[in-house]
Amino acid sequence: MTSTVESVSGAVPGPGPGLAFGAASGLVSGPASGLVSGPASGLVSGPASGLVSGPASGLASGPASEPVLSVRDLTVTFADPRGGAPVTAVRGLSFDLAPGEVLGLVGESGSGKSATGLAVLGLHDPRTTTVTGSIRLNGQELVGATESELRPVRGGRAALVFQDALTSLSPFHGVGAQLAEMYRLHHPGTGRTEARRRAAAMLDRVGIPAARVRDFPHQFSGGMRQRVMIAMALMNDPKVLIADEPTTALDSRVQRQVLDLLDELQREHGTAVLLVSHDLGVVAGMTDRTLVLRGGVQVESAPTAELLAAPREPYTRALVGAALTLESVPGAPLPTVDDPSPVAGFAPRVIGQPERWLVEVADLTVHFPGRRRFPGLRAEPVRAVEGVGLRIAPGETLGLVGESGSGKSTTARVLAGLQQPTGGRVLYDGQDVTRPDRELRRRLSREIQLVFQDPYASLNPRRTVAQALDTPLRLHTSLDAAQRRERSAELLEQVGLPAAHLDRYPHEFSGGQRQRIGIARALAPQPRLIIADEPVSALDVSVQAQVLNLLMELRERLGVAFLFVSHDLAVVRHFCDRVAVMHRGRLVESTDRDRLFSAPHTEYTRELLAAVHQDGPWRGSVGSSA
Amino acid sequence: MLSFALRRTLQALAVLVAVSAAAFALFYAAPADPARAACGPRCDNGQVAAVRQSMGLDQPLLTQYTDYLAGVVTGRDIGDVDGSVIHCDAPCLGYSYRLHQPVTEALVDHLPVTFSLAAGALAVLLVLGLGTGFVSALRHGGRTDRLLSGFTLVGASVQIYFLGYVAQWALVYSTGLLPLPSYTPPAEDLAAWAGGMLLPWLVLGFVNSAVFARLSRSQLLETMNEEYVRTARGKGLGRLRAHLKYTSRGAAGPLVQLLGLETGALLGGAVITETVFGLNGVGRFTAEAVSGQDLPAVVGAVLLAACFVVLFVALADLVVAWLDPRIRLS
Repeated sequence: MTSTVESVSGAVPGPGPGLAFGAASGLVSGPASGLVSGPASGLVSGPASGLVSGPASGLASGPASEPVLSVRDLTVTFADPRGGAPVTAVRGLSFDLAPGEVLGLVGESGSGKSATGLAVLGLHDPRTTTVTGSIRLNGQELVGATESELRPVRGGRAALVFQDALTSLSPFHGVGAQLAEMYRLHHPGTGRTEARRRAAAMLDRVGIPAARVRDFPHQFSGGMRQRVMIAMALMNDPKVLIADEPTTALDSRVQRQVLDLLDELQREHGTAVLLVSHDLGVVAGMTDRTLVLRGGVQVESAPTAELLAAPREPYTRALVGAALTLESVPGAPLPTVDDPSPVAGFAPRVIGQPERWLVEVADLTVHFPGRRRFPGLRAEPVRAVEGVGLRIAPGETLGLVGESGSGKSTTARVLAGLQQPTGGRVLYDGQDVTRPDRELRRRLSREIQLVFQDPYASLNPRRTVAQALDTPLRLHTSLDAAQRRERSAELLEQVGLPAAHLDRYPHEFSGGQRQRIGIARALAPQPRLIIADEPVSALDVSVQAQVLNLLMELRERLGVAFLFVSHDLAVVRHFCDRVAVMHRGRLVESTDRDRLFSAPHTEYTRELLAAVHQDGPWRGSVGSSA
Repeated sequence: MLSFALRRTLQALAVLVAVSAAAFALFYAAPADPARAACGPRCDNGQVAAVRQSMGLDQPLLTQYTDYLAGVVTGRDIGDVDGSVIHCDAPCLGYSYRLHQPVTEALVDHLPVTFSLAAGALAVLLVLGLGTGFVSALRHGGRTDRLLSGFTLVGASVQIYFLGYVAQWALVYSTGLLPLPSYTPPAEDLAAWAGGMLLPWLVLGFVNSAVFARLSRSQLLETMNEEYVRTARGKGLGRLRAHLKYTSRGAAGPLVQLLGLETGALLGGAVITETVFGLNGVGRFTAEAVSGQDLPAVVGAVLLAACFVVLFVALADLVVAWLDPRIRLS
């Protein structure tokens, strides 16, 4: 809130009381602030105005202007196509959006936040979805409106920005043409040339040069594509912009740039924004007010700064507490929804210089052959990993960090024996693993286990939990069937699931529970090293906290070493003893956790950290979770 | 795009050479001795040997094959059964001893019928297949969808020789709604041409449309859930316009590829349809060549059919690449 007040006018002196997120003011970019005048005072008005104290109140008080979007008692219900019970995604939701206001809609997956965004544009399939309640845009009722009434609203008075611009933009049309279409749809009678000219101007405004207007979406980088998406949404100067996870798929440096652009444009146009996100970091820097959703129901709604600093509801508290920042205490147990204030801590971790390294990688290179152009003619090989060296001591946790395409997953795959390296030495417990014999292969398959990113894709849907856990036990132990079942039950309880669930199938579990099953499977043969490739990236914040707590507990109890691949600096900082940073296939820096985060050696690491720090103390990540 | 086209052309040529080699091997794999078949049942061994020599069948297999390939490119002289020498112009696909005519000439005589049949059948197939597919997809799960799916299933399961005779009996003999199927060159009498071909077009098109309807329905249904279609609706495009402009474009790839394959196959001759309706096209020609053990004609027909398939599959690939810039520019 306070940061918004600052940004509305440079004249507002000093930080107001309760400035918790000073860093957020860095978001306000130069020219934009001058443009925000008059009607933009609505930015700080609305139902929250009573909370603004001090010099700002004069600016924000007075009769709040008519909300541009008013949602009352919104309920969205999906029918089950297989005839099961209908699912209510949103239940009795009410909120107002003042002109020029930015409202954050925060919640975990299944909280109904995206369904709300789609309902505003009437984009739900009417045959499978029932929308009741009231959505008024500038006084016009949208619930139950006909298609012909909705069409001028969609893309005209209200526009959408989706998460993944690559799939959301048409792959078949040039970006200029897609913007021009947006304009012509809402300005009938406009000529092609005029629409194209406007499209080019708008693209230029978001930083896409005129020479690239005819290019197709796949020819742009992720950040550029999202700029195109935003430009398209703003083509007709909508009153309301609904941004559904607009930066979730982007690397954090790019995420920062796109958010800055969105912020700038929002101020220029005085557009009201409904920012849908699961990421408190994004919401912290961008929004005036935040509404927290859980299971389709509103949990709490307050000015953003206030909500983050002093959440009232236990769920919000857990959500805020579970979100790691660069100021959390590393290695401490994280608060969860079930246990909002954990007491028992973990023992401090001491990893000395080992007698023998568990893993030693030197000069590792992995090249992938280039595309075949003609028989005998190939494109340049892709140099995924170039001369990387790593060491992991027994029981140590090494974090491997990098943006997408940095080669971190490829490195992990080599260690796991899933990828043959082009060159270099990879030793496991002193033995060369690049050309393993039968014996060593067997040993590796027992002692090195994997945990994957996607808990949905990494479990066979047709095998029960008992079957999934039984296979590694059968292969690597001499237990008989009854003993294996007993051990499976133990494993399941070890990861916090009841043994009674042994005979269930993966689809009967939630995402977080499935990741636990994946961890139990990895633990089954009592490995010495677990390679975890983005194990918590696909999970909601509160679930992520649970899984991280579990991993920390298991690590302490079992003394397993981890190679923890992640793009998320806050998570890595929390969980890892040492951190190696990769960039474009090369190792940039490899050092102790504390040294890396307090005194990074290289320019690249500093840049990464800076991008996170710009989010305020709120977490950020260096890459997408791809 | 140019490099893509070039690569595709080279691939097509390689396929054709492979097919020609396989077809040529027919000469030796076939139980019948081509020289005896050409000479006729009354020839004695001496006469057969003379024919064999005159036809060049005493040459090593490789020589025969290279002569054949050279003939395709430049034309060549071929010995007839009676020892006379006939010149066969390029592209020479051999000489039919049964018809005493170069195979190429005989095939060209039958092509107009096959072209006419294929063109009309394709038009029917496209309208019926894409039409039902599109409507089914728009109304998926509803009564219209189930009705149309049943309709196309009938098309897929019914054989041409059955449907052809039934339709001919119902529409021609009992009611006289349509004229008896026959081929009139369109240059002579356009109306007679269309009238005579209408029934074969409808039957062949309908039977082949089933696969098309099913594929287009599933493709469209899949593409409808693409996020760019949702974006298009979010821009303010109506449902139908969004589907016509965006969904169809996304669904087109496999359909174009199937169309290419189908076109090639139809141009290679529709044996059953031509036989049922008494049309004298490439299909009938091939069937007769097979039963008459006219091996040069069979090989020629096989090669021609392969040419069409390879050509249209390559064309389809180019169209797909043109439709999808992600393929075009990579």
